[in-house]
Amino acid sequence: MNQMHLDDAAAVAKARGGDEEAFRVLVERHSRSIYRLAYRMTGRPEDAEDVVQETFVRAYRRLARFESRSNFATWLYRIGFNCAIDYMRGRPHRESVEPQDTLERLAPGSSGPTVDDLVFAGQVGSRVQQALGELSAQERAAFLMRHYQGCTIEEICHALELKTNAAKHSIFRAVKKMRVALRPLLDGAATPDEVLK
Amino acid sequence: MTWHPDDDDLILRHFGEADAGLEARIDAHLAGCDRCRGVWHEITDTLALAGTVEVPEPGEGFERVMWARVQAALPPPPSAGWSAGFLRFWMPAATLTAAVAVALALAIRPSGPDVPDAPGRAADARERVLLTALDGHFEQAEMLLVEVMNAPADDAGDLEFQRETAEDLVASGRLYRVTAEETGDVGLVRMLEDLEPVLVDLARSPKTLDAHDLESLRTRIGDEDLLFKVRAVNGEIRGRQQTMNAVSEGPL
Repeated sequence: MNQMHLDDAAAVAKARGGDEEAFRVLVERHSRSIYRLAYRMTGRPEDAEDVVQETFVRAYRRLARFESRSNFATWLYRIGFNCAIDYMRGRPHRESVEPQDTLERLAPGSSGPTVDDLVFAGQVGSRVQQALGELSAQERAAFLMRHYQGCTIEEICHALELKTNAAKHSIFRAVKKMRVALRPLLDGAATPDEVLK
Repeated sequence: MTWHPDDDDLILRHFGEADAGLEARIDAHLAGCDRCRGVWHEITDTLALAGTVEVPEPGEGFERVMWARVQAALPPPPSAGWSAGFLRFWMPAATLTAAVAVALALAIRPSGPDVPDAPGRAADARERVLLTALDGHFEQAEMLLVEVMNAPADDAGDLEFQRETAEDLVASGRLYRVTAEETGDVGLVRMLEDLEPVLVDLARSPKTLDAHDLESLRTRIGDEDLLFKVRAVNGEIRGRQQTMNAVSEGPL
């Protein structure tokens, strides 16, 4: 039976009762947004996919603890962030994203930016991802939640189990590090070689 | 004395987290202070630049593929009793293996001051021995955890083999931890420390484990995400082994 019409609350209720198809609805509905989050956290598509998978497996195991008055997507995000943090802690020696990889992803079809635009866009993407990679797991999680997901400090505290000051300071430190890392791009003085160093 | 907002105030203002009083004060100040306005623009420009990075959209069919992966990893419905066969096959005296590996790792020392790069080579060799041994250790631990997580609750009594396995892994894990501490590998030490309490509990469990005890053990494994962490550290170990092999086979 097609259950795609189910809203999250109804799907969770059915999944709790052992209805695997209902859980499938939740996976298919939310896997892309969790992927985006995971990609920003890990910087690599294959790592992001692993994190998405683990996020849903953990969510399934914890469905009984989900409070029905809560928002399922927010609850899932929280699990996703923690999975990504665990993943990054478990793989501390990862190399950074290949610049060429970023270039290829940004490359459009026949019309659009010039080669120079693409080179610079690739450099920006590479540098930003590298800068994100230099943040601690907690700084990165707090920064991503605030900057990309638009979460409030309060939501970040709840998701990462931090006190208000700790969450704020994680964001402050993250922004400071990003400023240092991206300053050469903002100054406009950097050559491509300097950017990629 | 003139008040200037500090960087943290400006960051809070940017994110809309400053209270109304501070926000008004900052805005009024920025209108008349070139220096602070410069810092403000640097912060907002940095964050705007950070926001330009696109996340590559996964291809069509991503949701279906992901569901297939998730479904395969979900706890299976209860089936036949404990299926320890694979694990039994993989459990030949883990403690002895650990002891040999640790002895080897600790025995590899710099050969003398007349060999300039001896400390580096010795450290590499010790790390290599440790990683090889730990690869097997975490693989066995993963299999054990999988078996515990998937065991049918109505057939939880026969834990004899899993208990022995856990006991063996506790002993070998302690030996590995000594070596990991020696090599300064904090991540591995932490993982071994995280794993040990659950293994100890399993090793000390009564001969007949009831469904409640089994569920309690599973909850602990789940709450601490041990299975995922063990898989992640296994991946990390293999990555490091590949890197070491690539370096040793390289042109230098």
